[in-house]
Amino acid sequence: MNFVPAKIATRRAFAERMTECASTDKDFVVFESDLAKSTYSYLFKEKHPERYFNMGIAEIGTMGAAAGMAAEGRKVIVCGYGVFITMRAVEAIRSFICYPHLNVKFLSSHGGLTAAIDGVTHQSTEDIAFMTTLPRMKVLVPADTAAAKAAFDIALATPGPVFTRLTRDPLYELYDSGEEFHLGGSKIVRAGKDVTIASYGDMVFQALAAADELAKGGIDAEVIDFYSLKPWDQAALAQSLKKTQALVVAENHQKRNGFGYEAAVWVLQNTPVPTRLIGLEDTFGESGAYQKTLEKFGLSGAAIAEKAAALVARKK
Amino acid sequence: MKTNRAGDSSLSIEGRYAPNAPDLSLNARVERLRRIANVMRRNVIDMVYTAQSGHIGGSLSAADIVTALYFDLMNVDPARPHWEERDRFVLSKGHACPIWYSALALRGFFPEDELKTLRRNDSRLQGHPIASYLPGLDASTGSLGLGFAQAVGIAMEGKLVKKKGYTVFVVLGDGEIDEGVVWEASLAASKYGLDNLVAIVDINNLQLDGTIGEVMPTEPIDDKFRAFGFDVLTMNGHDMADVLMTLAKARNARAGRPVCVLARTVKGKGVDFMEHELDWHGKAPNDEQYGKACAQLEKTGRELEGAEA
Repeated sequence: MNFVPAKIATRRAFAERMTECASTDKDFVVFESDLAKSTYSYLFKEKHPERYFNMGIAEIGTMGAAAGMAAEGRKVIVCGYGVFITMRAVEAIRSFICYPHLNVKFLSSHGGLTAAIDGVTHQSTEDIAFMTTLPRMKVLVPADTAAAKAAFDIALATPGPVFTRLTRDPLYELYDSGEEFHLGGSKIVRAGKDVTIASYGDMVFQALAAADELAKGGIDAEVIDFYSLKPWDQAALAQSLKKTQALVVAENHQKRNGFGYEAAVWVLQNTPVPTRLIGLEDTFGESGAYQKTLEKFGLSGAAIAEKAAALVARKK
Repeated sequence: MKTNRAGDSSLSIEGRYAPNAPDLSLNARVERLRRIANVMRRNVIDMVYTAQSGHIGGSLSAADIVTALYFDLMNVDPARPHWEERDRFVLSKGHACPIWYSALALRGFFPEDELKTLRRNDSRLQGHPIASYLPGLDASTGSLGLGFAQAVGIAMEGKLVKKKGYTVFVVLGDGEIDEGVVWEASLAASKYGLDNLVAIVDINNLQLDGTIGEVMPTEPIDDKFRAFGFDVLTMNGHDMADVLMTLAKARNARAGRPVCVLARTVKGKGVDFMEHELDWHGKAPNDEQYGKACAQLEKTGRELEGAEA
């Protein structure tokens, strides 16, 4: 499959949509922690400086202040990098945003190893575990810019905290601009009958590459984009597994406590089929080029294809 | 992956620059450090250009400070990176690590030609410094504020537990002191009377989104650190004689209180079109910009050689 290269990263698409929506929805404000040039929240600031608060390099204080304003009834978008939002400031999110179910939305850039070149301190490879574990938090991971814009709309329309994981670098385009997305939804991006590859975010493209590779060996893979990770589309997975009877989950995240663990437990309890999980194997990433880094850590399309083929062989 | 085998002197590399000889005059020490600082700056430009990624502006503002520490003031031994008695250094503003890597290479902690692997797959020179990867890094940094807190811990160990005489030097950015953890760790530094700790704030007046005044006003910084129990000194971070004497004074004070040195600096210092320019916080030069920057640093280098003769 030849992917269409994206002109902008999903972080920028989300921020652009946030800026567009600001003129029709005058009820939300934006908090930033000195990463405006990177999260693209400066686009919003240029149009609506009176609704924009740069709190300096101070993530915990930013989160607390966002919670304070949200407690007053304001909708707040907090922008930042995944590692700092979801790990440094996690307690403030848990106890003072999720617990009181406040209207705070998160633009979380540098998800997974997409921040490969910056190294481990900037790679958010545990964010899905932290965020999906928090009660009342909703989690979205768009694969491309159309999905990222839709994710902003979903976040704004959904009461309570919503976390959106975005990428540092522009990757590829998958959907038309009119494509519809909803909380708890998923997309079958390639239909097949031999194995289901469940994925999300940037890894949807690796899953599609894997499906191409598998097709050469006569294996017909179905690829599902779970752009909504919490809640997630259990009916779609059930439907797919009824047909394929084999599941691979591929994610740019720690394998432990990622979406794979969530899906595997559900499969075990509802429709047991041979399952294989792909993610970081209890290790940190490192600096490097994005695709090379995925290859090094066994997350590339080729690695997914190899594991999926082995799984299909086991099924027969 | 090459690993850091501590204390194995057979792995030692002849660094291009040894520390200053103790019998040199102050003037000779300063002139020599200025020449080394210029080479350090050139390395930063080469590294970020080769990687096409990295942080030049904040590396250049800290260049003279890091040079004075590694090539004159600090007691370190490249052959023994884990030597217990050594002075410690933590670059808490970890994104400026090209300048740290350059110092370690020129001092002989690892081969200079490895500098060009910055940010590449399998490199020991990670995008933000990871101590377990490379000999000479006394802490991993890259998450702002937390390098400083680690430096406080290293100083607590030295003063209160291990009871060694070493000094801990830590460089923070002026944007970095927005982080609450800086002030939490400062309270502890004061409580424990860490006079073996020298905190240097690289005040280049710019952070990612604008000037310090625009993003988060932190002045008066001297009053803040004084109120947190530090003795505060101020220096021009690009006047090598001032840097050398102020940092020596800070190291030697040992008055029962931690010392904070406010270094007034210029982001991008040494390459005129990068100076005071926010854009050069985290941008890589293109071919033309690279050529211009190199030409300027080479010219500066020739002038410094001339000053020697």
